[in-house]
Amino acid sequence: MSREKDAANYAIVFFAALSVLLLLFPASKFAHTARIAASYSLYPSMHYGARYGHFIRNVPSNFVALLETDQENRALKDKVRDLEVKLRNASALVSENERLTSALRLSRALPWAGSWARIVNKTPADWYGSFYIDKGSEEGIAVNDTVLGMQGDRAGLAGRVLEVYPKFSKVLLLTNGAASAVCSIAPGGFEALVEGKGTWLLKMNYVPEEAALESGAELLTSPGGVLFPAGIFVGRVTKVYPRESFMNFITADVSPAVDVNTLKEVFVVRRNLQGDLAGRGLAEKR
Amino acid sequence: MTIILELFIYLASGAAYWWWTQNLAFFGLAPNLLFAAALCSAILAGPVKSVAWGFFLGLYADMLGANMFGGYALTYSLMAYAVHTLKRHFDLAGLFSQLVAALALSWVCMFFYQGLSLAFSRINPLGLKIFLVEPFLNALAVPVLFQVFYGLKRRTGIL
Repeated sequence: MSREKDAANYAIVFFAALSVLLLLFPASKFAHTARIAASYSLYPSMHYGARYGHFIRNVPSNFVALLETDQENRALKDKVRDLEVKLRNASALVSENERLTSALRLSRALPWAGSWARIVNKTPADWYGSFYIDKGSEEGIAVNDTVLGMQGDRAGLAGRVLEVYPKFSKVLLLTNGAASAVCSIAPGGFEALVEGKGTWLLKMNYVPEEAALESGAELLTSPGGVLFPAGIFVGRVTKVYPRESFMNFITADVSPAVDVNTLKEVFVVRRNLQGDLAGRGLAEKR
Repeated sequence: MTIILELFIYLASGAAYWWWTQNLAFFGLAPNLLFAAALCSAILAGPVKSVAWGFFLGLYADMLGANMFGGYALTYSLMAYAVHTLKRHFDLAGLFSQLVAALALSWVCMFFYQGLSLAFSRINPLGLKIFLVEPFLNALAVPVLFQVFYGLKRRTGIL
């Protein structure tokens, strides 16, 4: 402890003497040299402090600016997201508008009375089987009403109404395995039965052998079929199979007039069928 | 390595004080970081180092001013010696003792420097505003700076 005290005493004597010398002889060469030496030694810390000081001085404002930018960025991101959604909706509306305009122009040319309906639900598990439309009994839709789809500038048979509810209906597609339509083959007028297969193709059965059926032949609904009005485009023959030895008619593959994959709206033809054909749907009864 | 680090801290303390007075002074008032550094080093360092730190920090303060060259050096050297003597009897590592020491020693140093200035230069450097407020600012700065110095001492072995 005493050694430490001695050291402290020596140190204070030394430094105090040095200070007093500087104070007593401020104009002496020693004091002047000490002042110059101190100034030159310590000045760089101030010089560089001043040089880089503005970086530190700007830190609070930069930090605030960063926070503001971040907030602005978040707000802009939200805005961009909203605008993207709106843009997507707008482009969907534009294409829908175009589609409906052409469909409306087309529907004016159709000889049947009916109303347009939007497809509101398609089940992937029953893609070629059925779908729902947004019109029901409140809009006058009835069971077995004919459903037309627009392909390009031409109406084609899509199917018929299977179930009717107050605000929506279920449509049985012609491509459904349980659906069929009696058709006439355009040039000759022979009648045959077109059936769905549950795929994108239809199958035509009971074509008389002498029908001279060829690929590309156009099929229209026959006046003989009661369910559908006559003259609706059903599809085109894509492939004709040769007659089997044990059968007395030929079969063919038919490409449907309406592509279910691109269908967005349909035209429901009011049939006003009488009797059992207009039998009210089970769902409607409930 | 330690001496380089101490030199760096010494220069940083001086530069920080200068920068604070340049940019963060409030109504012309700022804590005297050189005084605070001298007091903290006196509390933490050994006998010779504490006096040396006081002297050189005082020299920095003298260099910043245009009055007596050596006045602050003498003042802070004596303060460091006094603290070195005091810390045998008081626990200056505590917050309250640091506050009291900073407050009291600020006024003592001001009076001492005032006396020196009147004796050697015949000018009165002390403003009433500084006399009334600066000791309290110093009292706030000392515990903070003490923690910084203490942390550096523990990690690097300086002082």
